[in-house]
Amino acid sequence: MPSITMIIIGLVQVLVILGLAPLLTGIIRKTKARTQKRIGASILQPYYDLLKLVQKDEIVSDQTSWIFRVCPWVNFAAMATAAFFIPVFLIYTPFGLVGDLLLVVGLFALGRFFTMLAGLDVASSFGGLGSSREMMISALLEPALFLSIFVVAITYGGTNLSTLIGASSNASFLPHPQIIFAAIGLFIIILGETGRLPFDNPATHLELTMVHETMILEYSGKSLALMEWSQSIKQIILFTLMVNIFVPWGISSSVLLQSLAVGFLTFIGKISLFGIFVAFSESSVAKWRLFRIPDLITIAIATSMIGIVLCYL
Amino acid sequence: MFSNLVLFQISILIFLGGALVGLLLRNNRFTRHAIFGSAMLGSVFTIMFSIGVITGKPMTWMIPNVIPFFDLEIFVDGVAAFFLLIVGIVSFAVSAYSIGYSKEYQVKKRTMALGFLFNVFILSMVLVVASNNAFFFLLFWEVMSLTSFFLVIYDHDKEENIKSGMTYLVMTHLGTAFIFASFLLGYIQTGSFSFDSFRHGSTGFPLLVKNLVFIFALVGFGTKAGMVPLHVWLPKAHPSAPSNVSALMSAVMIKIGIYGMIRTIFDFSGFGTSPDFAWWGMLLIAFGSASAIIGVLYAVVERDIKRALAFSSIENIGIILIGLGLSVVFASFQLTAFAVLALVASMYHTINHAVFKGLLFMGAGSVVSVTHTKNIEHLGGLVKQMPWTALLFLIGAISISGLPPFNGFISEWFTMQSLLSSYQIPSTILQISIAFASLPFALTIGIATATFVKLFGMTFLSKARSKYAMNIKEVPRSMILGMSILAAICVLFGVVPYLGTSLISTAFHMHSQPSSPFDSMAIQNSSGTSFANLSMPVVVIMLSSVSIAIFGFIRVLSGNTKKTKYGTWDCGFGSLNERMEYTPTSLSQPIRAVFKVFFRPHNQTEKESFGENPYLLKTIKIETAIKNIFEDLLYTPIVSSFVFFFDKVRRLQTGKINAYLLYIMVTLVLLLLFVRLSNNA
Repeated sequence: MPSITMIIIGLVQVLVILGLAPLLTGIIRKTKARTQKRIGASILQPYYDLLKLVQKDEIVSDQTSWIFRVCPWVNFAAMATAAFFIPVFLIYTPFGLVGDLLLVVGLFALGRFFTMLAGLDVASSFGGLGSSREMMISALLEPALFLSIFVVAITYGGTNLSTLIGASSNASFLPHPQIIFAAIGLFIIILGETGRLPFDNPATHLELTMVHETMILEYSGKSLALMEWSQSIKQIILFTLMVNIFVPWGISSSVLLQSLAVGFLTFIGKISLFGIFVAFSESSVAKWRLFRIPDLITIAIATSMIGIVLCYL
Repeated sequence: MFSNLVLFQISILIFLGGALVGLLLRNNRFTRHAIFGSAMLGSVFTIMFSIGVITGKPMTWMIPNVIPFFDLEIFVDGVAAFFLLIVGIVSFAVSAYSIGYSKEYQVKKRTMALGFLFNVFILSMVLVVASNNAFFFLLFWEVMSLTSFFLVIYDHDKEENIKSGMTYLVMTHLGTAFIFASFLLGYIQTGSFSFDSFRHGSTGFPLLVKNLVFIFALVGFGTKAGMVPLHVWLPKAHPSAPSNVSALMSAVMIKIGIYGMIRTIFDFSGFGTSPDFAWWGMLLIAFGSASAIIGVLYAVVERDIKRALAFSSIENIGIILIGLGLSVVFASFQLTAFAVLALVASMYHTINHAVFKGLLFMGAGSVVSVTHTKNIEHLGGLVKQMPWTALLFLIGAISISGLPPFNGFISEWFTMQSLLSSYQIPSTILQISIAFASLPFALTIGIATATFVKLFGMTFLSKARSKYAMNIKEVPRSMILGMSILAAICVLFGVVPYLGTSLISTAFHMHSQPSSPFDSMAIQNSSGTSFANLSMPVVVIMLSSVSIAIFGFIRVLSGNTKKTKYGTWDCGFGSLNERMEYTPTSLSQPIRAVFKVFFRPHNQTEKESFGENPYLLKTIKIETAIKNIFEDLLYTPIVSSFVFFFDKVRRLQTGKINAYLLYIMVTLVLLLLFVRLSNNA
């Protein structure tokens, strides 16, 4: 059994993820606004939005069933549970004994499953459209994600995230060439999973380009708040994985207060930088046509496969 | 307490009794209760004795010379008992379901034949698994094939069903021929039809014979299991049968094929732990990956709910075969711990698939029995009228999509971990091939989720798209009961994987984890640190406590808010109706477009416009169809060449007496010559 201190630190890591998720969204939005020569809203705006939405009355479509109503809760529970297994500023999380990276992926899929059903439940063509596109994208992202996990897991000896990040933080700078390929693959997958350009435009309300937004179009009030919040939790989890696996510098390897503080600050720094990077990359590409997205995913699959071959050669 | 043997004999007698009742009783109100009640009771005894065998000692029973030269040998060890347990559990649930379900057939006065065949079918599956002699194995195998054939053509007033039945009959006998060949090789080598002599003698077979035994068994049992490319009968036969029978066939009967494969590979083929046998595993992985991906691709574009489920059975058989193949590869390199892991993955998926596919077929049967259509284009909105069926079908759908915290996730997690463990194999080429095999595996899981979003969403959610789906009622309680039993097992085996792993490891006499219900399943890597951990009970506790916490948190933040019901947003145009919804075909259109190389879709559009302007359309008609490449490219040429050949042979049959006399003469002369020549030599 892990000690009480460990469990407390583990819970703090979970709260950091849940709490900082909207902030990351705010940073990305702000950066995008600045690259477009707009001032943009404050980086705290997502928090105000959530608070405002929670306090509003809800309008629910009369076509919907209980699936539509439970979907935001299932989504949030799945994402928040996934947050338990992620080492954030310490290389270790006591909940690593409970679940691994594959469980995190499974919980994401559970959330997505219910979101797609909710899109169908409202009986409008918008919802169906979103679900239909999401079905294709998620079906193709699954193998890409598994293959890049394959590379990382074999290189660092585990899908247990504590083992994985522990091994990567001990490794010297770029020890394995396959890691570069896994990083490229995972970066593309993260753009797809979080619904960013060129897969999906999170800022749009145009039926030609929407994917995720169409499925949650009918939500309002606290249901919408939950959906938005869980989406940003998913985003911060994936970003955290990316920075902690591939750039593990500064992550604390002991429970000393000093190194924890360093770990926390570097985490904030790394994740914001990565968010700014994603925002810049988003500003410089256009949305791809839906049927060109498989090409992009194929690139992710191909790089991961090169990574696998490099693992063994 | 009765001994296992007595329980076994009682269960046989009860099934026989149920069959006789079906044959003898007049059709009255209680016939179906008697018939399916005895099937339920028989299943209970099957469950009891198989649990007895798993926890206790193997069971043997022998009646010498039942038929001259052949002894009826019954031998149930842990492996057989594991499969008998699957037969028992699913048959119990399906029999309960059938009490309500067969009401529809009672109107047509044919419950009796259904009951007879149903009981004999379950009995034959029990006996196939239990028999320990090639002759009786094949005999019961044939009974199983024939009763299921008659059940497939049960609704024989539909031309289509007869055709499916015929495809099934031909394919299943093709498979039987290969199984026969495999056993004959054993007979030639050992001089006995008893499985015991195969078991003891097989290690001494020459390598070529071992390989041939494996290949024949793979083809033979693979046909029954629905392995690609021998699967063509499955998507035809399973949808044609009444839904309770489809549930039994898809959930249990194809597993008997897996049972045969395991028996032959590990018991009768002289499989040894040497790298010579690694290619067996690779072959299984190759066929498994092909079955998985092809099955799921056809499932996702299918509009017939039962046929989609049948294709998904092919997919799941593929996943089972991948696990089995990995286990063979690991075993041949003497990586015992990983061979155990992969075998647990495969067997866990076997029992999972039996449970959720039985559940889903029963759910589909409920939908079909109230709406009278299998086409999901015509359905929609059933969740409000059939809340229980919808909930249970959803549990099945989540399980089969491999999502936590239900049972499908556990077996897929094990399979993924076995794939990842392939880095331990000391052969680079095998490592890389297995890593690449994980691509079709992961793609399969992704598309399977899409398939069940489509099947559940299009059947139960949004608005009804036709009159079929309106004004219907929930199915009777016995049907709900049958489905609930399997749904409960889906949840139980997902939340407490200890149940499944300990069942499998006791049955197969292996050491496996976890050692207690709350222990986490752990895999170690080569340096001794933890490779992966999973503890589902804790995950479920986390999920529920997070839900409660967030519910409270939002409640405190929001204060008092109202919920208003209003129409779906219609962009201000008004009158949103069911014709504007996405249909199943349009929902899976992007996937069809991405895999168009594979589906070869054929689209035809006819437009009729008002006058000159091509944009003002009066009518538009779009036809779309996809090709079944296996039938078109593999089976059609073979069948047509056979037809061509036998057309030529028919010329011999002139109908004239003198010609026939000539044939007899020629044959006689040839035979005499043959005798003469062979005597000389």
